[in-house]
Amino acid sequence: MKSAIRTLALSAISTLLLAGAATADPETKVALVPGGPHPYFSAWEQAGKDAVKDFGIGAADYRVPQKWELSQQSQLLESLLSQGYNSFLIFPGDAVGTTPVVQEIVENGGQALALAGCLKDPTPALFCMGTDVANSAYLGTKELIKAMGGKGSIAHFTGFLVDPNTQLRIDAVQKAADETNGAVKVIQVIADIDAPQPAEEKINAYLAAHAAEVDGIVTTAWVPAVTAANALRKIGDKRIKMVGIDHDEVVLKAIKDGFVNGTMLQNPYGQGYVGSYVLDKLRSGCTIKESAPWAKNALTAKFVDSGTVFVDASQVDTYVDAMRGITKTLKENFDKDFLACK
Amino acid sequence: MSIETSPPAVPEAAGGTSQIQKILFSNEFGLVVLIVLAFAFFASLLPGFSAPFSLFAIGRQIGIDTMIGFAMMAVIVTGGLDLSVGAIGVSAAMVFGWLCERLGLPLAVSIPGAILFGALLGTINGYAVVRSGVHSFIITLASMSIFFGVMIFLTKAEAFRGLPPEVAALGRLKLGGKVSALLAISVAVCIALSVFYRYTTLGRRVLAAGANPRAAEVSGVRTGRMFIACHALTGALAALAGLMVTARTGAAVPSMAGQLGQDWLLPAFLAPVLGGTLLSGGRVAVFGTLLGAAFVNVITAGLLQLRIGEFWIQACLGLMLLAAVLADRGRHVLLRRRGLV
Repeated sequence: MKSAIRTLALSAISTLLLAGAATADPETKVALVPGGPHPYFSAWEQAGKDAVKDFGIGAADYRVPQKWELSQQSQLLESLLSQGYNSFLIFPGDAVGTTPVVQEIVENGGQALALAGCLKDPTPALFCMGTDVANSAYLGTKELIKAMGGKGSIAHFTGFLVDPNTQLRIDAVQKAADETNGAVKVIQVIADIDAPQPAEEKINAYLAAHAAEVDGIVTTAWVPAVTAANALRKIGDKRIKMVGIDHDEVVLKAIKDGFVNGTMLQNPYGQGYVGSYVLDKLRSGCTIKESAPWAKNALTAKFVDSGTVFVDASQVDTYVDAMRGITKTLKENFDKDFLACK
Repeated sequence: MSIETSPPAVPEAAGGTSQIQKILFSNEFGLVVLIVLAFAFFASLLPGFSAPFSLFAIGRQIGIDTMIGFAMMAVIVTGGLDLSVGAIGVSAAMVFGWLCERLGLPLAVSIPGAILFGALLGTINGYAVVRSGVHSFIITLASMSIFFGVMIFLTKAEAFRGLPPEVAALGRLKLGGKVSALLAISVAVCIALSVFYRYTTLGRRVLAAGANPRAAEVSGVRTGRMFIACHALTGALAALAGLMVTARTGAAVPSMAGQLGQDWLLPAFLAPVLGGTLLSGGRVAVFGTLLGAAFVNVITAGLLQLRIGEFWIQACLGLMLLAAVLADRGRHVLLRRRGLV
């Protein structure tokens, strides 16, 4: 039921975005390949389907490596290239380790974007589009600090250490805390828990032992956000403030019920939808403008922020509008500032 | 190439016909037929399957899986096993990254250094197995966690991403414009191992010790030392496999073999067991291991390209291992009846 509602919501976004669809290349075959199975990427599947429907792309298929493991992803990418896919949206299994297979894609006539996570420069990927994870974590922590009244102790629960974004998030949370001149301290960072079992184990164990010492929780990965929201609901004490990430139903319900103060929405649907659109445009004769306003991050000098927005109890029922808004803006920005089409 | 320690069961008088029969009934011949059939099947269904890049990619993966299979084969010879091959391979790759990137040592020093480190970890396994008398399953189950845990602690799970460009270039290198250099390395090691087991005294002693430790001991073979040597060889080959994976990705990544290195276990057992190496020890199939890895990878690549769900492929490989183990059991009974083991 949840997934049906999500599908309808995402389809609604795409319908409203379908203004100005241009000629597409039916030979464009896009593969959307995450680093492994993870709920964050599930929106890519619908995004690919909608891109095919809306832009007339030949194919835009969501293909998931069977494990969150670099060699599995590389093997899948090699196989997809052999199957005739010519455009790739890839969440890099490793910021450097994925580069050789992307190089092979390019050498064999394909093109690739790093999506939701970046490859380290120099890279054969055209550019990187994803959440500015550092900014998202920073803004989320600032919202948490505000909810905490500007003082107290924070616990930070985050994702896989092999994810190139994790260290950026850890640093950003610390930066927001440091700006309070000692009024707020990050007393615990628990990483490598973006899977149900380790998240349940470590978050529940930590809160069982140290809940009294914690004034706020910031989570910067999907599964820890869900687990921490559930844990706070079980504890039943709304003293501990929390800012989560993403749009899992558990987190959204906890915001409505007051156990979580808000969440930092990312835009996985927009990444897949606009990424497919851009790759098709590039195959159809468009080029990337010399003057394209790239942002920079720790890994690459060609970064595009796919958008992030803070949603609290007052906006939780209209979060689809928020996602629709940032996806529409993202596509318009590409048409206006990044793509040069004859 | 199967290497047997016992005299042939078929009398010499049977001549050429029996030799042909022996080849036709060999495990290797069966695998060659299966590989050809599987390849023809997938190539007829999938236009991209026999494309140059596809063949190169399959060949490269065969090279890596063969080396992982050799690592396990070297210890299966003793009738034991080594669950820590993945942990050793990753640890050696991380040592390679440390030597190269942090210490700035040239590849000519870093590569042998990493292989020696792998051999050292294997030696620790072998020494523990021989001295304790505990089955290698238990010892290497423990060492898998220890090696991997220490590696994660020391590296803080950080990859070495600043390796010399020659490392990634090796992973992409095509010999003659077609054949992966990593496959060529495995073929070279295949030849070296075949010579080792067939023509060297140490190789024959290892096989004798694996076939029947008591008989070998009575014959003057120091089986404990042989077993330690086998584990050391396993460690060295696992390290080489780790370096090959590093070449493929251009970085030494702690997660290259999954949690605790467990992702290597299936290919490690599949290739030698499919190839005809007896799980009870004493008989190796070096060329068979190469063919076993080739068969597994042709099937895997074909299923991937057929878009059979990626999650089903692992189940398919598991079924293949089960079938191979049952075939191994049947082969063992047959060989015993013929007086070969």
